[in-house]
Amino acid sequence: MSSPAANGVHSTGSDRPEKTELRIGFMPLADCAPLVMASVLGFDDKYGIKLVLEKQHSWSAMRDRLTSGELDAAQALYGLLYGLQMGIGSGAHDMAVLMNLNQNGQAIVLSRAIAAAGVRDGAQLAALMREQPRRYTFGHTFPTGNHAMWLCYWLAAAGIDPLAPTRQTRLVTVPPGQMASNLEAGHMDGFCAGEPWSRRAVMEASGVLAASSGQVWPDHPGKALGARQDFVARHPNSCRALVAALLDTARWLDASPTNREAAAEVLASPAYVHADIDLLRSCLVARRTDFPGLRFFGDGEATFPWLSDGMWFLTQQRRWGLLRADPDYLGVARRVNQVALYREAALLAGVDLPGAELRSSTLMDGRVWDGSDPVGYAASFEIHQRDPEPLSA
Amino acid sequence: MKRADPSPHLRIVVVNSGDAQAGCADPAALAAQAGRSAALRVGLLESGYDIIASLPPDIFLPERIAQLQPDLIIVDSESDARDVLEHIVIATREARRPIVLFTEDDSADTMEAAVAAGVSAYIVAGLRAERVRPVLDVALARFRREQKLLGELADTRQKLAERKVIDRAKGVLMTRHALLEDEAYGRLRSLAMNKNMRLAEIAQRILDVEDLLGAGPAKGSA
Repeated sequence: MSSPAANGVHSTGSDRPEKTELRIGFMPLADCAPLVMASVLGFDDKYGIKLVLEKQHSWSAMRDRLTSGELDAAQALYGLLYGLQMGIGSGAHDMAVLMNLNQNGQAIVLSRAIAAAGVRDGAQLAALMREQPRRYTFGHTFPTGNHAMWLCYWLAAAGIDPLAPTRQTRLVTVPPGQMASNLEAGHMDGFCAGEPWSRRAVMEASGVLAASSGQVWPDHPGKALGARQDFVARHPNSCRALVAALLDTARWLDASPTNREAAAEVLASPAYVHADIDLLRSCLVARRTDFPGLRFFGDGEATFPWLSDGMWFLTQQRRWGLLRADPDYLGVARRVNQVALYREAALLAGVDLPGAELRSSTLMDGRVWDGSDPVGYAASFEIHQRDPEPLSA
Repeated sequence: MKRADPSPHLRIVVVNSGDAQAGCADPAALAAQAGRSAALRVGLLESGYDIIASLPPDIFLPERIAQLQPDLIIVDSESDARDVLEHIVIATREARRPIVLFTEDDSADTMEAAVAAGVSAYIVAGLRAERVRPVLDVALARFRREQKLLGELADTRQKLAERKVIDRAKGVLMTRHALLEDEAYGRLRSLAMNKNMRLAEIAQRILDVEDLLGAGPAKGSA
């Protein structure tokens, strides 16, 4: 790595962005708020860059555009970026996580039929699946992505092996906008997806809320700001400005419910999420207090690219056999998560920095993840598919 | 048109863009996808390729593909069914060694052209890239032709719109200055020539001025 900050005093002009127009991919989800509002409120302008937002229709297409250079950076599933780094299902590319864009705000929803059988949580679901054996189908949004990992973690915590060779449980990838209709039609028994699509299914009574992702892992990492490592290496100033602008925006988003309301109004537009404004308002302005809702800033805790967050996805990809061997967890996370660049941007934006690069979290099953022993952690789960049978199509 | 080896043994599945996506994407994007998907099928059929199925992008896609065992799946790169296919790529990565063509292909040009034209291909069996490229060439050629036709259509629409503006401006001149139609048209033409503007532009200016000032008593039959 070079030392971009060696003489990077802001006022000298030596940190002028190498590229001022940055092409940024986003998905029509409530957590695209930081990118959209940075552009709408002009926080990008403040740091001498201009965000050119490009709406994407699938994670696969976004990944291809990131790796081909059509996009400079994107709002990507944290797990997808690590999957791409490790070459799971595609060629391996050296990727960068510039910052975390949100915490919480995803949900696991079960069908009305399942709820009618009295099921409200994982343990009750496991009991139902034992009493009424058949094939149960659950949807997520991308094989290596966050929703797949929350869903598998939640099922396994209840004693359900999502990938058991018996195939009693089947996982499918479904675009988030199609989740509610598939649940309604009886094609699926449940799903995990982001807002507003999980909430829409609940509000339209296609399903019932079984768990918010904030209950699976309070303040879990969410979408990350992803880029190619070589882009970051060639455009350190642009990337620093981008992170600083998004830190300003995240602070604004968490500053007041009024700001969240304003963001909901903007996001409702067809150009962005293209969803009902009341639906978005209910996603962005938290009402429930029994679990943590969508969080963007948290005084710089929600935005920091924690190495332990990145490693967690690797441990779960290892647990479910997407990785066939233990990677150098810490080494990969150090390469991918751009902590040094984030620190410079945080100084620029006046955002507090944590003293460590690892954080300690307690997940729904009481397990503590602090990043200190990733190999042991990845091997510690009773339910796993570390060496799955090769599946045929 | 040159007819390359149609590779009749290549079993191709095309993933439609259609109703299953209703309610999530914007209608304009969907319509564009549907058009590209139709163009792709026509192009491949015209060139003698064997499309064994044209499948909707729904939750049953992986099962249908597992039954059909195609060599090649072609999908619109903007389709949200891309992520559904990704599931197959990962689930079969051991047994059948699928290749996602455009992330492992060394020819970046082909990839960029394909992405720009809106096509993505998944090779399901261990096909060699050389056998796939002609199929994609056909698809790309068809897209380009379609694109050109769309461009021509847009051009015609624009001309029609301009025609309307000119007719309305003529009407304004005829009412305001009690001119015959020919005289009004002549006045427009000389105005355009003197100001070095296109006829439609000068007509639009006249209409703009009429909008601003025309609310007065001079306004006759609007």
